[in-house]
Amino acid sequence: MSQRDILLSIRDLRVAFRLEDGGRFEALKGINLDIPSNSTVALVGESGSGKSVTSMAIMRLLSDYGCEVDSASQILFEGRDLLRMPLAEMRKLRGHDITMIFQEPMSSLNPVFTVGDQIAETLMIHEGVGRAAAWQRAIELLQEVGLPEPEKRVRAYPHQLSGGQQQRVMIAIAIACNPKLLIADEPTTALDVTIQKQILELLANLQKKHGMSVLFITHDLGVVGEFADEVIVMRHGEIREQGPAQQVFEHPHDSYTKALIACRPKLDHRPQRLAVIEDFLKPEPYVPPTDRQRGYAQDDKIILDVQGLCVNFDVRAGLFRKRKFEAVKNVSFQLAHGRTLGIVGESGSGKTTVGLTLMRLRTAAAGKALFEGQDILAMDDKAFRPYKRRIQIIFQNPYASLNPRFTVSSILTEPMKLHGIGANAQEREAKARDLLNKVGLPAKTMEKYPHEFSGGQRQRIAIARCLALQPEILICDESVSALDVSVQAQVLNLLQDLQDEFKLSYLFISHDLAVVKHISDQVMVMNKGEVVEQANADDIYRAPGNDYTRRLLSSIPRGWTPSAELAGLPI
Amino acid sequence: MQDMTMTNNSPAELTPPRSLWSLGWQRLKRDRVGFVSLWIVVAFLVVIALCWTRLLASNWGEEVAVPYAPPTWAKGEATAATNGATDANVLGGANGPIITLTPEEDPIGKDIEAARADAGKYQLKATVKADALFMGADVRGRSVVNKVLAGTSTSMLVGIFGALLSVLIGTCLGAFAGYFGRAVDDFLMWFYSVFTSVPDMLLLLAFAAVCGRGFLTLIMVLSFTSWTATFRLVRAEFMKHRSREYVQAADAIGASHLRRMFVHILPNISHLLLVQFSLLLVSLIKYEVILSFLGFGVSVRQVSWGSILGEVPAELMQGYWWQLLAVVIMMSLLVTAVSLLTDALRDALDPKVK
Amino acid sequence: MLSYILRRVWQMIPTLLGVMLLVFIVFNWAGGDPSYILAGKGVSKELIANIHAQLGLDKSLPEQFLLFVTQVLHLDFGVSWSTQQSVIGIMAARIGPSLALTGTLLVAELLTAIPIAILVAYHRGKLIDRTVTILCTVAMSVSSLVYIIVGQYALAYKLGWFPVMGWDDKSLFNSWLHYIPLPLILGLAVSLAPEVRFYRSFVVEELNQDYVRTARAKGLSERVMLFKHVLRNALIPVVTAVTTSLPFLVLGSMLLERFFGIPGMGNELLLAVDKSDFPVIKAITIAIACATMFFNLLADVLYKWIDPRVELK
Repeated sequence: MSQRDILLSIRDLRVAFRLEDGGRFEALKGINLDIPSNSTVALVGESGSGKSVTSMAIMRLLSDYGCEVDSASQILFEGRDLLRMPLAEMRKLRGHDITMIFQEPMSSLNPVFTVGDQIAETLMIHEGVGRAAAWQRAIELLQEVGLPEPEKRVRAYPHQLSGGQQQRVMIAIAIACNPKLLIADEPTTALDVTIQKQILELLANLQKKHGMSVLFITHDLGVVGEFADEVIVMRHGEIREQGPAQQVFEHPHDSYTKALIACRPKLDHRPQRLAVIEDFLKPEPYVPPTDRQRGYAQDDKIILDVQGLCVNFDVRAGLFRKRKFEAVKNVSFQLAHGRTLGIVGESGSGKTTVGLTLMRLRTAAAGKALFEGQDILAMDDKAFRPYKRRIQIIFQNPYASLNPRFTVSSILTEPMKLHGIGANAQEREAKARDLLNKVGLPAKTMEKYPHEFSGGQRQRIAIARCLALQPEILICDESVSALDVSVQAQVLNLLQDLQDEFKLSYLFISHDLAVVKHISDQVMVMNKGEVVEQANADDIYRAPGNDYTRRLLSSIPRGWTPSAELAGLPI
Repeated sequence: MQDMTMTNNSPAELTPPRSLWSLGWQRLKRDRVGFVSLWIVVAFLVVIALCWTRLLASNWGEEVAVPYAPPTWAKGEATAATNGATDANVLGGANGPIITLTPEEDPIGKDIEAARADAGKYQLKATVKADALFMGADVRGRSVVNKVLAGTSTSMLVGIFGALLSVLIGTCLGAFAGYFGRAVDDFLMWFYSVFTSVPDMLLLLAFAAVCGRGFLTLIMVLSFTSWTATFRLVRAEFMKHRSREYVQAADAIGASHLRRMFVHILPNISHLLLVQFSLLLVSLIKYEVILSFLGFGVSVRQVSWGSILGEVPAELMQGYWWQLLAVVIMMSLLVTAVSLLTDALRDALDPKVK
Repeated sequence: MLSYILRRVWQMIPTLLGVMLLVFIVFNWAGGDPSYILAGKGVSKELIANIHAQLGLDKSLPEQFLLFVTQVLHLDFGVSWSTQQSVIGIMAARIGPSLALTGTLLVAELLTAIPIAILVAYHRGKLIDRTVTILCTVAMSVSSLVYIIVGQYALAYKLGWFPVMGWDDKSLFNSWLHYIPLPLILGLAVSLAPEVRFYRSFVVEELNQDYVRTARAKGLSERVMLFKHVLRNALIPVVTAVTTSLPFLVLGSMLLERFFGIPGMGNELLLAVDKSDFPVIKAITIAIACATMFFNLLADVLYKWIDPRVELK
C-alpha cells in the first residue's frame, strides 16, 4: 500500500452536531484514513459509527445538517485540502472527480426529470458538451451500467424503474465524467439480495475498468469481503481497525472487529449461541460454542398445519372496477411443536402476508390453518379469541411496534388485562417485572416510555409483550432485520433461549438467508406468492432443489473466503 | 440470558421516565418565543375568566365619560382633531401615538385642564362624566378599555368554543372514516366533499342568513363550517396509524376496535389536535370579527371585536381613532401570540424524537 | 385521459346532489317560512297561501326538493325577492367586476409571494427567514378589516391618492384603471403574508429531499439546484393550491367589494344576505359549488401534466 499513490487522505477529522438543547454531539472524534488510487476501500460500522458523516464531510455536504467541522481537520484530495477550498472549486470536483451514490436511489433522483436529463446534466456542466451529445453519451452510460433497452429507458422517469435500475442510473450519473473517487454510501442496503449481488458486481467491474477508487460504506462486513482491498472498521466516531482486507478478516487485533466478524450468523456452521460483543471484552479469550443440530424429527407433533392458503388484495382501479392481486397463492406448510420454520423470500414474495393472515390481520381468500386440528381462519371472532393469545407476532420495526404514548408497564399489562390474566393490577405488575427480567431488561425501566430505549431494547419489550400471553406459536416477522449486527446476535440468542425454555414454536420470516439458516429447523422459500421449496434447513442450503433457491443462495455475499491454509479452522 | 445490554452507560436507566408530553414541554420551555407567547395567551385566558365571572368589565355599558372622550395621554392632539383641524396627526394617530403637543407645551393646555377639573366640582355626583379616559370613550361615552375587554372576552369565547366543537366534530367523523374505511369512509367523504364545495365564507353567510344572530348561534355556525380541515387531518392520520405495527400489535393481543381507535391511536395524534385547535382558534376569531362587523355575528346587546370595528369607519372620518387602536392592539397581541405558540407547539410536540 | 375526466364528472353528481340537499335544508327547512319576508307587513292569510302555492311550499318536503332539483337542472333560479330581476341575469352582470378585481389580485399575489417565499426558504433558519416569518405572523394577526378600513381612510380619504369608492358601469376597463388599484393594493397587503408562509413551506419541504443532496453532489450551483430542481418540484403543490383557490375568483372578495362599492358577486351576496333574498344566495352557492368541483378536476388534470408520477386511473 505504501508503494501506491494516495488519492485522498483524511487527517484528524472532527465533526460535531449542535443539539437542540444547546449541547454538542461529537460524531467524528479525530479520524485518519487514506484512500489509495485505483482501489476499493470499505468503511464498515454500525449505526452511529460516523461512517456516513465521513463521506458527507468529503463531499462537503454537511453544512445543511447543523454540523461543525473542526478547524484543524484536513481532507486532502490529490494534495489539495477540500475543507479549505473555495466552494466554486469544490463544485468543479463534485460530480467530476469525486462522485457519490446513496442508499435510497428512489428519493435521490429528482422525480420530475427523466433519467436522461439527469445524466446529461452532469455531462453538460462538467464536460461542456452540447445537449444532443450529452444525451447520446447518457445512452452509452446506461448501456455500460447494464440497463436493458437504454434508448427507451433514457426517456423514463425514475418512478418507472425498479429500485435496482434506479441505483444503476445513479451509478451512471456518478461515472459519467470518469471520476477518480466514487463514494458509495450503503448503495445496496435498500435492495433485494439478488439485486444487491448484481450492483456489487457492477461496481467492482467499473472500478477496475475506470481505474477509479471506490469508498464503499456499509454496515455489513459480509458484503465487503469479496471485493474490498482495504477495510476500515468504525465505532462511535472512531476508527477501531484498518488494514488490508486479508489482515482485518483473518487476524483482527481489535476486540470489536473480532466481535463484528463473529456475531454474524454463518452459512457453514451453526453455534449454540452467537457471539456477542461482550464476549470479546472479557479478559479470557472467546471460545466458540459447539454447533447445534437442526431439523424436524420423525416424532415431532405438528402444531400448525396450513393447507392451500390464498390471500388476495383488491387494488382499486377506477371508480367501480377492482383488480385482484394475488399476494399468496396456494401456500401449505407444517410447523412442528417447539421447532422453527423459517420463511425466506425477496420483497413481494408474500412471506409477510402469510404471517399477518395467520394472525387474522389479513383475510384469507381460501385455505385452512389447522391449529391443533381447529381451523383458525374459519372461526368467527368470538371463537378465535381464546386462540388469539396462543399465537403472537413480533414485527420488524421496533420503533413502530410499541405505542409511543404507553409506558413499558402499560404495554406489558394491557394484554394480560384484555385476556384476564392475573387477578389484579399488582399481580399483573409483578408478572410484567418478571417478563422484563426474562428478556434481559431491569425492572427499573417499568415506568419508561418506548422512545427512551434503543432499537434492540425495544425489540426485547415487544418480545416480552408477546410472552405476557404465554403463546405457543410466535411469528417473527423480520424481527431482527432492522437491528445492527451485534444487537441482532443478542436478540437471536434471546429468541433461542426462550424457545429452549418454553418450547415455543417459531415462524421466522426474513429476507436474510444467513439468519434464517441459523435459527430454523425447516426452511420454506417463497417467490411471488408461491412456495418454491420446503425442507430441513441444512438440506436446502446444501442441495437446493430449485433454480430460484439456487439463485437466491448464490446471491448471498460470501464474505471473506479464508485463504487455503486457514480454511479448516473455525474463525 | 443476562447479557450486558443494560450496562450502566445506558441512558434509559439513568434518567427519570419522561412521556412525550413532558419532553414536548421541555422543548417548549427552551423555545423563548413560544414560551413568552404561552404566557401572553395565559394572560388573555385569565382576562376572559375574569370577564366571564363578571369581576372585570361587567360595567362596560355604563356611560362614564362624555361622548368621544379622548385618551388621557393624547388629549391635546385629539382636541385639535375634533376641532376639525385637518392635520396629519389623525393619520399618524391611527397607526401609533404621535403626540405633537403635550399638555406642558400647549400654551392653554394647563388652563383648560384646570378649568375642566374645576368644572367637575360643580357637577352633580351622579352625572359626573370624565372628559378623558385612559383609552378614551366611544360615541355614548362608554370606556373603551372596558368595552374592548368585554369584546375580547366575547370574541375569544366564540373562538374557543367554536374551535372545540369543530375539533370534536372533525375528530369523531375523521376517526371513523379513517379507521373503518370502505363504505363508512365513502359516505363521510361525500359529506366532506359537499361541505368543501362551498367556500367557508359563503357557507357562513348562508347559515347566518337563516340562523339570525347571537352568541350560541355564532358558535354553532362557525363549527359547522370549519370542521372539514380537522376531518381531513384526522382521517389521514387514522388511515396511517391503522396499519402501523403498534396498532396491529394491539389487534394481536385482542384490543377491540374502539379501544384501538381511542386508547391507542387517538393519544398519538393528540398533539396534532392541539395544533389544529389553535389554528382554528385564530381563524374563527377572524371570522367572528368579519361576521360581527357585517352585522351577522353577536347580538346587538353584546360587544365583540367585530362589532367595535363596525363603529370604526364612521369614527375615523371624524378623527376618533382610539377604539380602532385599542381593538387592533388587543387582537394582534392575542392572534400573534396564539400563532407563534402554534408554531412552537408544532415543533415541540413533534414525536420524531432522536 | 378522456375516460378519466368523464368518470370524474360522473363522480361529481352525488356531490352536487349533496350541495343541493344542503342548500335545501338550510333555506327551506331551517330558514323558516319565507312568506313573511316576501309579503312584508300586514299579511293576510290569503296572501300567505297564495305565496305558498307560488313557491310550492304547500307540497311535501321531498316534493319540494324534487322541484328544487328540476329548477336547478333547468338553470331556473327564479327571481330575486327584493328586486324582482332574474337571478341568472344578476349573476351574469356581477361576475365581470369580481373577476376584474380577483383576477388581477391573483396575478399580483403570485408574482410577489413566490419569489419572497423562495428567497426565505433558501435561507431557512437564518435571520432573514426568521424575521420574515415573524413579520408575516404579526401581519396576519391584524384583521383584514383593519387593513381595508385604515387603507381606505388613509390612502383615499385623507391623502386623496385614489378615489374613495365607485365604479364605472359603462366601461369595465375604465373601472379597472381607476377603481381597482386601491382595493388591489389592500387585497395584496392582506394576502401577502399568509401566501408567503404557505409557499415557503412547500419550498422548504422540497429542500429537505434527498435529490437536493444528489444535485449538490453532482456539482450543480446553488442557483441551478434551486431554480431548476427544487422549483420544478415545489410548483406541483403551488399549482394545486392556486387551482383550488380559483372559485374565490368567481365569488369575489366580499369585503373589498363592499368597502369600495364594486358591484361584484361578493357584494351582491352580502346584499342578499342582508335582505334575506334566498333565491340569490341559493343560486350563488350552487354556482360556486359547481365552480369548485370544476376547478378541482382542473387541478387534478394539471397535476398529471406537471408531475410525471401521477397516474390518472
